[in-house]
Amino acid sequence: METIKADIVIVGGGGAGLRAAIAAAESDTGQSIALVSKVYPMRSHTVAAEGGAAAVTQPQDDLEYHFNDTVAGGDWLCEQDVVEYFVAHAREELVQMEHWGCPWNRKEDGHVNVRAFGGMKIERTWFAADKTGFHMLHTLFQTSIKYPLIKRFDEYFCVDIVVEDGRAQGVVVIEIATGRICFIQARAVVLATGGAARVFRENTNGGIVTGDGMALAYRQGVALRDMEFMQYHPTCMPGTGLLFTEACRGEGGYLINKDGYRFLQDYGLGPPSDEPRNKFMELGPRDRVSQAIWHEKQKGRTIDHPHGQVVHLDMRHLGEKKLRERLPQIYELAEEFMGLDPAHEPIPVLPGAHYTMGGIETDGRTATSLPGLYAVGECASVGIHGANRLGSNSLVELCVFGRVAGDEASSYAKSARNSSTATLEKKADDICNRVRGLVNNANGKERIADIRNEMAKSMEEGCGIYRNAPVMQKTCDKLEELKQRYRSINIEDKSSAWNTEWLLAIELGYLLDVAQAVACSAINRKESRGSHQRLDGYEQRDDQNYLKHTLARYNSEGPPGIEYSKVKITKSEPGIRAYGEAGEKAEAERNKKKGAAHDK
Amino acid sequence: MSTRKPYVRPMAGWWLKNPVYVRYILRESTAVFVGIYAVILLVGLLRLSSGEAAWNNWLIAMQSPGAILFHVVAMGAAVYHSVTWFSVAPKVMPPLMFNGEKVPVAKIVAGQYIFAGIIYLVLLGLILWG
Amino acid sequence: MTSNDKIIEIEVLRYRPEQDEKPFLQSFKVPFTDDQSVLQGVQYIKDYLDGSLSFRWSCRMAICGSCGMMINGVPKLSCKTFLREYYPGKITLEALKHFPIEKDLIIDLSDFINKLESIKPYIIPAAPRTLEQGEYLQTPRQLDRIAQFSSCINCMLCYAACPQYGLKPDYLGPAAITLLHRYNEDNRDAAKAERMQLLNAHEGVWGCTLVGYCSDVCPKDVDPAAAINRNKLNSTMDYFLRFVAPRGGN
Repeated sequence: METIKADIVIVGGGGAGLRAAIAAAESDTGQSIALVSKVYPMRSHTVAAEGGAAAVTQPQDDLEYHFNDTVAGGDWLCEQDVVEYFVAHAREELVQMEHWGCPWNRKEDGHVNVRAFGGMKIERTWFAADKTGFHMLHTLFQTSIKYPLIKRFDEYFCVDIVVEDGRAQGVVVIEIATGRICFIQARAVVLATGGAARVFRENTNGGIVTGDGMALAYRQGVALRDMEFMQYHPTCMPGTGLLFTEACRGEGGYLINKDGYRFLQDYGLGPPSDEPRNKFMELGPRDRVSQAIWHEKQKGRTIDHPHGQVVHLDMRHLGEKKLRERLPQIYELAEEFMGLDPAHEPIPVLPGAHYTMGGIETDGRTATSLPGLYAVGECASVGIHGANRLGSNSLVELCVFGRVAGDEASSYAKSARNSSTATLEKKADDICNRVRGLVNNANGKERIADIRNEMAKSMEEGCGIYRNAPVMQKTCDKLEELKQRYRSINIEDKSSAWNTEWLLAIELGYLLDVAQAVACSAINRKESRGSHQRLDGYEQRDDQNYLKHTLARYNSEGPPGIEYSKVKITKSEPGIRAYGEAGEKAEAERNKKKGAAHDK
Repeated sequence: MSTRKPYVRPMAGWWLKNPVYVRYILRESTAVFVGIYAVILLVGLLRLSSGEAAWNNWLIAMQSPGAILFHVVAMGAAVYHSVTWFSVAPKVMPPLMFNGEKVPVAKIVAGQYIFAGIIYLVLLGLILWG
Repeated sequence: MTSNDKIIEIEVLRYRPEQDEKPFLQSFKVPFTDDQSVLQGVQYIKDYLDGSLSFRWSCRMAICGSCGMMINGVPKLSCKTFLREYYPGKITLEALKHFPIEKDLIIDLSDFINKLESIKPYIIPAAPRTLEQGEYLQTPRQLDRIAQFSSCINCMLCYAACPQYGLKPDYLGPAAITLLHRYNEDNRDAAKAERMQLLNAHEGVWGCTLVGYCSDVCPKDVDPAAAINRNKLNSTMDYFLRFVAPRGGN
């Protein structure tokens, strides 16, 4: 087995991985950076983010507002010191993206334009049409080419982290083109592998979003935090789950039921107005909007569609010109995939699994509990999303914390020393044999697709928008059964070059572990908060018992161990989370209290 | 030994494998006819400079069935070439702006036809009344 | 719409480097519904008929650029091409033309990546700006000059459409030249002179004979042929102006 030496290895070539790589390359240490990605970086799923990236920009906006929106949006399960850092550094990172060439939409005077987004008090979402993630990813990828210290390993698939002496000291990877397995030795490892929404059936995610880094860290004993919080995006394409950005509503689109009624006003988001109003109606947060759609379905007020019960995303009143300019990709998706013209017909939509709020537990500087191992982006839980992420916070997270991860890994690698290469290679060899064994011994009867489909269906049933214990228990049991069946999986392809079936099998292993962390975290949280909503006697938020993070710890013998940790609160005590008119009232109340406290 | 063994597909006969390529080759080959026509015109000029008899002989030669057939074919080739050229012209020129908006490709193409039509009318007028 | 009663024949050009001397066609019968894409068709084959079939895919929504292939001889993104368009006829799938086949529908795209890297696809400003100075100003009109050309998803359908690239693999090709043009046209950039040398070379814009098919097959309406051919004029100007000024027209 070949050993490749680098100072830092970054796994994942999406927005977070690229930003971390650039930060590390810009440090003055001259360290070499190995950037490992199972796809060419510009294929990474950051590419599919549509709406935009939030940063306080307008004069009437304030860091405090962004902080409050984020913390309340996350139903007070955010690490508040981390959110403070996040909002304070958001704008400079977006300006940095601008300097690197990101084609942000502009105002007539040449300054960057902003749009409204769900749960945000003031418009602060920078956007590049409705392809913001695409433009950010390509800008980062192309900019990364400038740095000779970044050595890319494109289409290398990470199978394990090498841990020795209690520290992460490299990764074992498969060169997909040949099937060759190599060891990349490094003094710091950064995981930036993205989310895991592929554990669900109806999801907005690309096929590559299989929780790789989460599973890798988890198996090494690092906790997965708050995994029960899975974001359902309210407006997805029926059948495929493809995403219609929240910007559709930010630009003024309506959600209507089968009677043409803007039903969100019945769910504490009203009153409705013709023009979009921040934190009202369609600009409510994603958890609330998805939950409202679920209730409409129960009331029989949704529309029959071959792929389920849908509501309508109505943008007819915006007109073709505005739609083509601001939402060209949405227009294209509707026309090409659904054969309808959004300027003349409403788009049938339903909620789909979209984003993993939880992830690898890290501190505010992206360090995990395993020395030398850092995690950033959707695979990590740095603490800014809490129980529900606000749209347009995650693209900024990639930049703000991508940079932190690069800096931190770089300074750690400066002082750390590797164990002897021979020792590390011995470990890597064992991993190599195990991974090869998977394909050579996979002569069972279980079909990869069957296990994957059963998992996704069960997750949707048990860990969907609304949850209850008996169904969640069924999902937990199902996952345990699937993990058993996974052991007798069949891989027909025994070849080495581009054996994608082998990779699918490994990914399925990752998915099953992550799914189990999600389901077991969910059943143990006996309250309703953010995107975790229960119907079995735990309909309310319970700050007494559950104002804390869930930590799922891997257990090779069965379901994970569940522990809890404290939530860091700096300046926002948990309050009523309300939107629409009720939200305004709650905010006035809070300000009054604060004012009173201040006067004292 | 590497398990890679990239297979490079041959290009032989490529232009017959896609109607777009066939049309492209046709477009390029129209140059042959336009070229021959230019040579014939040059010969005509030489004849003209060699005296009236030579010029008349050239004119008679131009009226032979073969020459007429060639001119018809060359005319067809030139028209085909013009049509294809008009359709790609918007790609070759910098974007045309009008009132701050890009002029649509279809309008640019249509404009060329109108322009060409006017030129033809002017030429026809010159020949008939000039 | 969701009943699975229709069956379409999908023929795939297979090539397994460890077993086959050259590619061969293999036929599969795939049940489908009217809203299913060709990508979903090949996914069905991989899941239920032949697990060894290999192809790239990810986003399913025509933005990641992974799933390009020849579909009945035409380069297309398989995620946004639908099986119903071919039924009851059969579909023949082949790896993107003009690239070496690694396995089945997977091509070796390292040549394209090298070209992309060679054109300096990043902003090289005249004077670097600090973050405190805020963003560069760029009017909507200035953005409009680059918006279309920065929409390339690197799917390489244009290379599969370009016979000149097939005949002369050194040719920089449509997507790389388009990206180069995108940076040259960006008002924040000042490195046009450096990049013009790449365009002026024989492998630059002059490798193009204006077949124009690249723009026809582009799934994002980027119009690479326009980017290339407008630069023929730029390249000519640059060539002559270099006689009077060392930095050419820039």
